[in-house]
Amino acid sequence: MFSTYVLRAVPCGVDKVRKMREAAQQQDRRLSGLREIKMDQKEKMSIILFSGELDKAIAAFILATTAASSNMDVTIYFTFWGLNVLKKTKLSITRAQNILQKMFNVFSTSKLPISKLNMFGLGPWMMKRLMKKSKMASLEDLMKIAKQLNVKYIACTTSCGVMGLNKENLIEDVDEFAGAMTYIEEARKSKVNLFI
Amino acid sequence: MKPNKTLDCTGLFCPMPIINAKTEIEKINSGDIIEIIADDPGFEKDLPAWCKVTGHQFLEIKKEGAVLKGYVKKK
Repeated sequence: MFSTYVLRAVPCGVDKVRKMREAAQQQDRRLSGLREIKMDQKEKMSIILFSGELDKAIAAFILATTAASSNMDVTIYFTFWGLNVLKKTKLSITRAQNILQKMFNVFSTSKLPISKLNMFGLGPWMMKRLMKKSKMASLEDLMKIAKQLNVKYIACTTSCGVMGLNKENLIEDVDEFAGAMTYIEEARKSKVNLFI
Repeated sequence: MKPNKTLDCTGLFCPMPIINAKTEIEKINSGDIIEIIADDPGFEKDLPAWCKVTGHQFLEIKKEGAVLKGYVKKK
């Protein structure tokens, strides 16, 4: 490659060589500029929170807050049972919901179970007690910290539609209501993608 | 080595020491040293990793029994 350049350059004289060198230097500058822009951009992380269980939600929020503390842009996409984490009140029943949607919201509330040893609610109580005793941050604390660190919450509109939930049923911290494409757009730029 | 600020995270579990370190390091000047005291065993590996990601300079971790003292220089 290089030799062809030299062969071509020699008969045309010094002027052409200088021009080529200038062009190469310009290219170099442009490249280093691009590299700097890339360095300035924050790394991204995105999490899909599909589960509505206390232990899984805690795991998601621990990772989200840790990444946000490391100067990463973090997005959590809440879908299906994950929406229970965002419910404002325990029962999210509205008049507009049909009987099946009402049943869903009665049996799957913001009072999150744990994925193992739930024992009709005794498990979460025991786990919260243990966590408090060992001074581990609770889900409420982690969610508060996540917002302070600008973690972005996206609620899935499809799941909201299926479960009959609207904006008023969910906490104000939700930044966006969007669909799968918004997640994909976010995820393709993310270095870390998790499904919990 | 004399730290400009000391942060006590004893008794706290992951990720609290890192989150607190993040909020506190924002309050000091570039080039200042922060001392972070923690007793979560994972902190020994977490602090250098956090420095690698954020670009702050990891200086050292001193072990005093179960207590870990980490030193970080702000970038």
